[in-house]
Amino acid sequence: MSVHILGIRHHGVGSAEMVKSYLKELKPDIILVEGPPEISDQLQLIGHKDLQPPVALIVYDESNLERTSFYPFAEYSPEWVACQYAGAASIPIRAMDLPAAITFNIEDKVEKEKSEGDQPEIYRGDPISYLADIAGYPSGEAWWDDQFELVEFRDAQEHFEGVGLAMKTLREEGIASGLDQENVYREAYMRQLIRTAQNEMYGTIAVICGAWHGPELVDLEQKAKEDAKLLKSLPKSKIKIKCSWIPWTNNRLSRTSGYGAGISSPGWYEHRWSTSEDLEISWLSKVATLFRAQEVDISTAHVLESYRLAHSLAVLRDHTIISYTDLHDAIRTVMCNGDDILFELIKKHLLVNDRIGNLPSDIPKVPLQQDFEDQAKSMRLKLSAMPKIYSLDLRKPLDLKRSIFFHRLNILEIDWAIRKTVRKKGSFKEGWELTWNPKMQILLIDKSSYGTTVEFATQGLIEQTLSNEKSISAFVKLINLCIPAQLFKAMDSVLLKINQIASISNDTIDIMRSLPKLINISRYGDVRKTDVDQIDKIVLRLFNKVSTSLANACYGLDEDNSNEVFLLIGELDRSLKLLEDQDIANRWIRTLEEIVAKEGIHMVIKGCTIRLLFDQNQLQDDELSTLLSYHLSPMNEAKDVAFWVEGFLRGSGLILIYDNRIWNLIYEWVASVNSEQFVDLLPVLRRAFSNFPSGERKQIGQKASRGLVQLESTNVVLASSTIDHEKGMTILPYIQKFLNGNHA
Amino acid sequence: MDVLRQHAEDEFKEELEELQKQDKGIRPDNWQLSPIAVVDYLMGKKLTNGKVISPKYIGKRRLMEIAVATLTTDRALLLYGIPGTGKSWVSEHLTAAITGNSKLLIQGTSGIGEEAIRYGWNYAKLLVDGPSRDALVETPLMQAMKNGKIARIEELTRISADVQDNLITILSEKLLPIPELNTEVQAISGFNVIATANNRDKGVNELSSALKRRFNTVILPTPDSAEEEINIVKSRVEKMMERNKLPAEKPPLKEIQRIVTIFRELRSGVTEDGRTKIKSPTGTLSSAEAIGVVNNGLALAAHFGDGRLSSMDIASGLIGAIVKDPIHDKEVWDDYLESIVKTRREWKDLYRSCKEVSQ
Repeated sequence: MSVHILGIRHHGVGSAEMVKSYLKELKPDIILVEGPPEISDQLQLIGHKDLQPPVALIVYDESNLERTSFYPFAEYSPEWVACQYAGAASIPIRAMDLPAAITFNIEDKVEKEKSEGDQPEIYRGDPISYLADIAGYPSGEAWWDDQFELVEFRDAQEHFEGVGLAMKTLREEGIASGLDQENVYREAYMRQLIRTAQNEMYGTIAVICGAWHGPELVDLEQKAKEDAKLLKSLPKSKIKIKCSWIPWTNNRLSRTSGYGAGISSPGWYEHRWSTSEDLEISWLSKVATLFRAQEVDISTAHVLESYRLAHSLAVLRDHTIISYTDLHDAIRTVMCNGDDILFELIKKHLLVNDRIGNLPSDIPKVPLQQDFEDQAKSMRLKLSAMPKIYSLDLRKPLDLKRSIFFHRLNILEIDWAIRKTVRKKGSFKEGWELTWNPKMQILLIDKSSYGTTVEFATQGLIEQTLSNEKSISAFVKLINLCIPAQLFKAMDSVLLKINQIASISNDTIDIMRSLPKLINISRYGDVRKTDVDQIDKIVLRLFNKVSTSLANACYGLDEDNSNEVFLLIGELDRSLKLLEDQDIANRWIRTLEEIVAKEGIHMVIKGCTIRLLFDQNQLQDDELSTLLSYHLSPMNEAKDVAFWVEGFLRGSGLILIYDNRIWNLIYEWVASVNSEQFVDLLPVLRRAFSNFPSGERKQIGQKASRGLVQLESTNVVLASSTIDHEKGMTILPYIQKFLNGNHA
Repeated sequence: MDVLRQHAEDEFKEELEELQKQDKGIRPDNWQLSPIAVVDYLMGKKLTNGKVISPKYIGKRRLMEIAVATLTTDRALLLYGIPGTGKSWVSEHLTAAITGNSKLLIQGTSGIGEEAIRYGWNYAKLLVDGPSRDALVETPLMQAMKNGKIARIEELTRISADVQDNLITILSEKLLPIPELNTEVQAISGFNVIATANNRDKGVNELSSALKRRFNTVILPTPDSAEEEINIVKSRVEKMMERNKLPAEKPPLKEIQRIVTIFRELRSGVTEDGRTKIKSPTGTLSSAEAIGVVNNGLALAAHFGDGRLSSMDIASGLIGAIVKDPIHDKEVWDDYLESIVKTRREWKDLYRSCKEVSQ
């Protein structure tokens, strides 16, 4: 009876190769891999042709979905390789570690202590960096790579003996790992499970575990009693653990997760795993091909030179073979001209490509599906292919819950419930049409990597979208999604991001679009007080931005853009008034004055700005008339004037009816235009006037038929002279009658 | 009489000799040190006999490794970066350590012709004897080829494109033909070129892709940490004060920290606490310019103020260094002023001074 310890690094390609060749040599009759015993059953599935990595096992507490851990696998994960071997050789495979049920309990305790004591986190690979320091390597990772991952043509047995020896020395020297406390229990349990296998009379037992645990998994007999006692001291756990496979992505592989070890460049690992000869050169040519596809000129000579530099670097750094860093320093220097921007391409397309794993179709339900079904059930919603319409009254708790649920599903792009307009007025009514389609199950599985419940997944998705978006208006859209879905955590992230991006955003127009919406949310939105404060701060920042850059942003815009900005300025003006902040109001006025003073700005914007200033009593009468006559003077291009008029009137003709000076100036200008020009101007003028209410247009027409108004008579006089006193008198008896009637 | 500034190989002679004694690595042909020892010379090290090699380059070791490794291949090295990142400094020390001679230098300007790269003629001799080896004037580059040394070319991108082209054959064929004498100079091993270029200047002659291909490029970045940069600025400013005998008090560390912080934040586009992004202006904002701002402020304080550096003395220099483009940079600066400077309580004085200066 023999136990063989194969100490590995999770996701280490070299480790995987060694495991593969050693297992062939060893021919064990049972394999134990590191992982909570609850996943043992799931491991049997490895080898199924539709289960293609990257995939992950999700382990979770059925009653508390926040307690989750993930065990990701790539094709080059040593554990994966071992499971494949077991499948092919038809020998049992088991997971060996502390049960997740217990770990979750401990984690809860640790979390509590952490929040009390606030200890710094210690990196799991820490003890190895002790050796790295002695050997002059920058990190434990680099040392391990050079010693155990990159070595070619090594005897597998020797390799694992070497790993064991190194770790044994470290542990005997008492070099601490940050997780020692937890490890004591874990390793005791591992030993327990190995003993179980021994008792079942398995002859050759292969144990695959993180290298650090190796030295503790010996002397099984002697430690039996001690272990039993130790494990008894652990609190009993009644947590029900479930686990299932979910598709994983390379992007997520590169993050820290259940195993504690993230890898920085899955693409390179994949390449190493699948290439047996000329590893470096084939990688370089992969890079060159990528660059050529992106229209960067890379010749064969570049490839050659990169290889030579990598080689020199490896020699200079005393590496036994060319490492990943050597290779990439060389690529950056030779192919990218030292530039990080080009190198990003490699990162994006080769190092962390967008590969996603695949699952067999008959896989058990993932937690997200479960949560979805539970929630649907608790809200009494049926998954039916027949469309059904729900009219929700948000004042009722159940309906509100449903609405939140539907909004969240919409964010997840699961269009089971589609928003319908309701006839009844009132913001507390919402109409939805529900149509179930089995395809939505797949969508749920697809989204399961974002989180275990509908709420978490929605949050996760928003955060993901957040990292891809750059424009402020997109963020504002996200906020508007978050509010009805009551995703406060996600909302916090969005606000943080807007805050970060606020001042680097170049796009003044984009900010102008977002500002009124934000002000609206802050004033009328259904949000928490803290969010309002945050939003107000952001509004202020964005306003700063607009006020400093608006005049420049308006410069040289074409007609379409100017028309948009013209509308935006008006909208923003309206919204800013809601803020009731004198400082902002003053600065806004200064900004408008800047626009008026600047040359090269489209007339529709100028007209509108002048009008806004006029409305806010910032222009003296004579100033206005100077400006008016300047802009309307016949030397101006007729079209410009028409645009100016459109901007100035801003969709309402009342000013023409009541202000005779303006009326006269405009009247004179129209009269000065010759008939040919007039035809040219018609579209613009039509646009300026057509939106007026018909009553106003009629009055303007009547006024036009009377021609110029004598200016000697001021408005007031004019008003009183047009009142027909006789007619006015006739109405008085009726008013009298109404009043009396009321009293009677 | 003392020269104002010594060559690197003279100033650090002892260190180089000590390294040579201790160096057990393999030396490429015509190198005075092994590649590893060269990197040690640049980055600094404590030798086994207790002697200390001072660091010449403060920054990432990785970059120096790449630079030295490049010189061991037959590709030339191009040090690239914004002004004030120590390109020429590194190039001088590299040649001093590798060949013991940093004097083979061609200063690139838009005015130099191909005779500065290849060879020129002594016209008196040329007229008397006709073309002969004797009448030929060798350039530093030609000397480097003949002796297996490293030639330095400063400001490569200022040299006009047609003159730059002369380098192509030299770098790829390691050969300099002299058709007038029907002969050629062949480079012997150890020959290489280190060029420096500036990637921020407008109006530079962009390298042709043929020439670019013959260089490995190492970009020298601005200092990594704020302390590093504060130290650089502080020591340089104090040296300058000694030399100019300024009747001013030493600048308070707080003021230097503030300036370096402003420079770093604007350069990196994010506040030091990493919480707020900001826009970067068009200027380079190198440490050298930060030094300039402090010096300028000190001069103002000494000659026109009370000898104590105040925020008012700094404000004008600061705005001058940051706002290089009247439209874009102004926007960036105003935004920074309003949303960052204004919100920092202990920066109130600076905010007021800047506002005052810009009005």
